[in-house]
Amino acid sequence: MQPPIILKGRKIVEGYCKAEALVSTKPISFLGGVDPADGKIVERDHDLYGECIKDKVLCFPHGHGSTVGSYVLYSLAKKKCAPKAIINENADPVVVVGAIIANIPMVDQIEIKQIKTGDMVEVDAYKGFIKIWKEKGAK
Amino acid sequence: MYLTREEERIYDGEFGWANQICMKILVRLGELFHAKRLIPISSSHVSGVSYKTLGDAPTEFIKALANADAKVKVKSTLNPQSFDCDFLCKRLPSDLWEKQLNVLDCFKKMGFKPSLTCTPYYLEKLQKNAHVAWAESSAVVYANSIMGAWTNREGGPSALAAAIIGKTPDYGMHQAENRQPKVLVKLEKPLSNETEFGALGIFLGKILKEEIPIIQGLQKASKDNLKQLGAALATAGMTNMFYYKTPRMQMDKIEKIGVSAEDLKRTIEKLTTTSTQTPDLIFVGCPHCSLNEIRKTAELIGNRKIKKQTEFWICTSRHIKEKAKKYAEKIEKSGAHVLTDTCAVVTWTEKLGIKTIMTNSAKTAHYAPTLNKAETILAPLKECIKKAYKG
Repeated sequence: MQPPIILKGRKIVEGYCKAEALVSTKPISFLGGVDPADGKIVERDHDLYGECIKDKVLCFPHGHGSTVGSYVLYSLAKKKCAPKAIINENADPVVVVGAIIANIPMVDQIEIKQIKTGDMVEVDAYKGFIKIWKEKGAK
Repeated sequence: MYLTREEERIYDGEFGWANQICMKILVRLGELFHAKRLIPISSSHVSGVSYKTLGDAPTEFIKALANADAKVKVKSTLNPQSFDCDFLCKRLPSDLWEKQLNVLDCFKKMGFKPSLTCTPYYLEKLQKNAHVAWAESSAVVYANSIMGAWTNREGGPSALAAAIIGKTPDYGMHQAENRQPKVLVKLEKPLSNETEFGALGIFLGKILKEEIPIIQGLQKASKDNLKQLGAALATAGMTNMFYYKTPRMQMDKIEKIGVSAEDLKRTIEKLTTTSTQTPDLIFVGCPHCSLNEIRKTAELIGNRKIKKQTEFWICTSRHIKEKAKKYAEKIEKSGAHVLTDTCAVVTWTEKLGIKTIMTNSAKTAHYAPTLNKAETILAPLKECIKKAYKG
């Protein structure tokens, strides 16, 4: 097994987890873009359309859209359909507030293209770094 | 970010979950924007009150806060909800009305005033240079530009957190250096009505991004028209303030933009999406009408009666409707509806079979195609009234 790639970012919401990555190169709008009932991406022209964010390390550049989106993350967490962690390039207020109220570990200032969907990612959001184990055949 | 001992204790949870989560929101946002401290605010205005725009997810969080005994620390007002309790509550499904009332009860329990308006600045005069935390982008621009107050464009959750803590992080529009104009806008032709003011806002919002403009030639503009300009500016872009009186400063280094009559004409044409001559709804009051706008509407109607099969809504706050009682009565006698607590954009117009909305508000014309799934006709008040009344 290859040694992991270690990247240093900035901690936003403290926490720790290790899970599979789900990566998008597009911003995500949680209001209207994600189904609050199950965590599926429902925005039709999104590159993650149809994917489920539940229990994933969700990696995307930043959020956009209505501030009501923060509450969608809270609702997902209550239904146990939230991502295990969030990694952003540049955190924006909607996602930051959402991660705080939903208590989802979050790190930003990470170059998203270093991570591919299917990689195993360890997020240490106490210290603000991540470790990536490359998955063979990861998208 | 520097926190006082008391702020630290709140952050650590000594004052319970609700206060802790609100403090965390403010501190993390502050850190994100490089604020050095929290500053006290004199009021908060919260958006995200209409059950139509909220849905169930936020209701759960607002309920959790209310049940955890969160209480506002400063005067805190609320944006419009999805119903009024005289007219729409009888025409829309009762389960929606109940869900809306649940949301409102949670806010009331926390100590919010049920002002239910997007124009909190009509309820109480803000002190000049007062620091506040307001959501509702049109009110943010009005507060910064016309009232001389200082506020960032808060989101629903951050304004809620600021209300509970009574403070906001000190960054952005709270700092004098970020309130300087960067662009000088010259108008080729003076603006002649509120719809043109709105169109200017939409046009500028798209090209300015976050920059603050000085707009020349508006010294004598009415506050009602400036309200339309600011609402549209915030709708189309991220600008939080404009100057309509030229401040004393060096003008040679500032970027200059010219706006032609053709630019505005094209903007208004784009905001009209249909060629139909028979709108299902004629709507004024986005943002909510001032006393003066209600009076003007009543005067333009005169003693006429509304055309058959025509629906005309004038939306405002309870506060203004009470003050404008004799004009409101006159308008209602003509067959139109003066609705409080709500507006066409945040209620379920499509459930009422409304497919085309005629309005004098550029902001509504911008939002209605997506939020109301309606076609739009944008035209000044005079034309809206001409469409609604005989003779």
